[in-house]
Amino acid sequence: MKHQIKLNVNGDDYELFVDPWRTLNEVLREDLNLTGTKLGCAVGDCGACTVLIDGKSVSSCLTLAVAVDGKSITTVEGLAPSGETLHPIQAAFIEKGAIQCGFCTAGMEMSALHLLKKNPSPTELEIREGLSGHLCRCTGYNQIVEAIADASGKLRVDGGEGVKR
Amino acid sequence: MEHFKYVGKSVPRVDANVKVTGEARYTVDIAFPNMLWGKLLRSPLAHARILHIDTSKAEKLPGVKAVITGKDTPFTYGVTHMDQKPLHMNKVRHVGDAIAAVAAVDEETAQEAVELIKVDYEELPAVFHPLDAMLPGAPVIHEGVEGNVAARPSYENGDVEKAFAESDYVFEDTFETPPIAHVCPEPHVCVAKWDHSGKLTFYVSSQMPSLARTHFANFLKMPESRIRVITNYVGGAFGSKTLSRFPIEFASVILSRKTGRPVKFQHTREEEFHYSTLQFRFVITVKTGINKDGIITGRHFKAICECGGYVSHGASITSVAGALQGVLYRYKNYKYDGYAVYTNVPYGGAWRGLGNPPVHFAGEAQLNMIAAEIGVDPLELRLTNATHAGDTSATGALVRSCGLSKCLEKVAEEIGWKEKRTNPRPNHGLGIACGVHFTGIRLPTMPDTDFAEAKIMVNDDGSVNLTTSCVDLGQGSNTVLTQIAAEVLGIDMDRINTIYGDTETCPMEWGTRASRVTAIGGMAVKKASENARDQILRAAGEKLEINPDDLELKDNKVLVKGNPSIHMSISEVARFNRYRENGQAIMATNHWDAPSHGNISSAFSFGAKAIEVEVDPGTGRTKVLRVVVANDLGRAINPAGACGQIEGGVHMGLGMASTEEIMLNEKGGMANNQFLDYRVLTPLDMPPITPILVETNDPVGAFGAKGIGEMALIGTPDAFVSAVHAAAGVWIRKLPVTPEKVLLAMKAKK
Ligand code: FES
Ligand code: FES
Repeated sequence: MKHQIKLNVNGDDYELFVDPWRTLNEVLREDLNLTGTKLGCAVGDCGACTVLIDGKSVSSCLTLAVAVDGKSITTVEGLAPSGETLHPIQAAFIEKGAIQCGFCTAGMEMSALHLLKKNPSPTELEIREGLSGHLCRCTGYNQIVEAIADASGKLRVDGGEGVKR
Repeated sequence: MEHFKYVGKSVPRVDANVKVTGEARYTVDIAFPNMLWGKLLRSPLAHARILHIDTSKAEKLPGVKAVITGKDTPFTYGVTHMDQKPLHMNKVRHVGDAIAAVAAVDEETAQEAVELIKVDYEELPAVFHPLDAMLPGAPVIHEGVEGNVAARPSYENGDVEKAFAESDYVFEDTFETPPIAHVCPEPHVCVAKWDHSGKLTFYVSSQMPSLARTHFANFLKMPESRIRVITNYVGGAFGSKTLSRFPIEFASVILSRKTGRPVKFQHTREEEFHYSTLQFRFVITVKTGINKDGIITGRHFKAICECGGYVSHGASITSVAGALQGVLYRYKNYKYDGYAVYTNVPYGGAWRGLGNPPVHFAGEAQLNMIAAEIGVDPLELRLTNATHAGDTSATGALVRSCGLSKCLEKVAEEIGWKEKRTNPRPNHGLGIACGVHFTGIRLPTMPDTDFAEAKIMVNDDGSVNLTTSCVDLGQGSNTVLTQIAAEVLGIDMDRINTIYGDTETCPMEWGTRASRVTAIGGMAVKKASENARDQILRAAGEKLEINPDDLELKDNKVLVKGNPSIHMSISEVARFNRYRENGQAIMATNHWDAPSHGNISSAFSFGAKAIEVEVDPGTGRTKVLRVVVANDLGRAINPAGACGQIEGGVHMGLGMASTEEIMLNEKGGMANNQFLDYRVLTPLDMPPITPILVETNDPVGAFGAKGIGEMALIGTPDAFVSAVHAAAGVWIRKLPVTPEKVLLAMKAKK
């Protein structure tokens, strides 16, 4: 039997009918066509599927859609403040060369967002710990760590104004 | 040095914005409203005869639209040996060999149906290590291949036996590297979609979309023009998405034709770990003769490559690694014996470095063992024997440019080689290694070419559409190719749209592989751009009534040299040329075949790595404190991108060195198939990395460029193992260097 749930995703309200075993990852990707959130392992080990639920970073592959009924979800598609600006985390990823294939990027950015909300001035070690559930096969992480440190500085200075693309 | 506006500049990736926003669509993101999901039935046995396949129950399951077996896929394929079949009817040769495929309304139903297919097997004795497979009386895996040796590539130059007899010292050591996974973040995935005009559109995450088209046109006996292969953004490939075809690809194509609906197949992470091809296991014995002055007198490699159930790239890799090893040093006497051996493990494939990382590991680790044994500095030992520009290798390769010695000197200087070795800290150690890799590849087992193609079209507004035969897998090729076109055409990068990965619009390609895109793909772009530039200058010359030789392209304009007040925008030129009487488009194509005839490659990139490691003597745990890498990449078109390749290459190399290993249980099944038990290094594991770019301006590559993607990795395990020895006094000859191995070796030494 399908369940009716309400989700707020990136500021938009949705009412959906979902099977009780379907994950949030499936519902975002397949029902809402929000494919920026990836699936890397389906068992909570790689971080590619990370989204924010009520501001906290969560693996969407391990989260049942019915369990987040009524909650607010932020995905990578909700990160840029507008069509013409990027979030400082996104801008820093570009500037520091923190992207190669880009498959891990959305998850990394969402965890970075959560981390920097919790801890606006993380040390390098704290950034690495904040990303410890994430795997990247391309970059070796160091540029990602640099990007997040850089974004933390910018966010502290201007409070998260968008960066013009 | 010439002044460039774009070449040599660290520009941001051209695809960065769509990647940070999640807008970039990968093949995993492709879906159609009426799309079916496919699943494979894979063999649970490593070696068995198939007696009977019964799909009747699966066919009856509600939601199942079609079930196919080997009868429906009568194709034979392979890389050098045509020993593979998409779905097996008679025999399976490794756990995971595919037998049947199902298309159903959703993934769960497809999986349920697969479990309803009944197969009767007669189990056969199996063998899981190449040394066992080569023993007399070992199970025969492919009819007619006694001893399971599928190929025996070899090289010989001089007389190694004589050299050994006359040397001051002779050393012989054996090394082993395990099977390793590529761990593509985006697993192997495809969607096949036939329409009722009989046209096939095939979406696949691939390094060679053109080859997929060629293959399927041959298999299906249909014109290439009726097949469109589309490769969207690719979530990593590392060699696994090149020449190999995968059972999921055949299954999706045939099931889509049968059902008239799009069919998607995607490896689960478990399948991806084991069945997306592996870096082959290698067992390598190196025998080296050397004199007191440090000159290597002769070297003999015996490299046994475990292909697994099928040869796949095994034969070519075993060959290439031997050819390349001969390029590293000035060997007067060199011998290489390769063995590509069948076993009943999942088969391997091209893995970043094409067999070069394992064979280098053996050669370079042994050189460091020798240095320690005879009391010479491993850095000096390398400098004494290093190859130089102008050399022809023992394996017949002409080396046109070579920064090997410079790379060695640079890493040594940067890490403080001399000082740190003079005053060693307890439990700390330094290791060094170097390497060579090709830029493009020409193999006797493939058509004799090493080409790339590109096409430039100038639009009315003076902007440019560039179609390329190279796929951006994340390595940043689209950015580099855009830089090259911008440089030649004098057009801003953001006025160039670089398009790849669609066989319907893009020129033919020979693969984004073998570290060939920047140098060879770049040359096709450069030459097509030069052709378009000449057309622009000619047209402008006519309009301005000035000799085209007196014109130049700069800042999106045609200028008169020395008199920039007279100019025309490129848009004006393009429109003039198109709309005049007998108008013409400004359009150019290029097919560039790198001049490597008779050679394995047209250019060789060199590199060196120095690694500092700390070993905890209580636990055997290793901690990498720093990695310094110097790469001779000819010319860095995009230095930031090149450094990114180095960072990522070192990450994979340290994984190969310290944690990564595909393990099988005693029945040949998967023992580790998730990230929890196959350890990819995490953000907390990574040391600081210092990349140094050494430019040697190669005479062949675009703007002097050579490859870097694979060389970035090569040498990492070699330097790491040597650093562990310097810190803990033990040599680990079998990768990965786990704490248990270090601890055991330390105990054994006491
Ligand atoms: S897909 Fe969710 S953690 Fe890997
Ligand atoms: S950029 Fe490819 S996985 Fe991180």
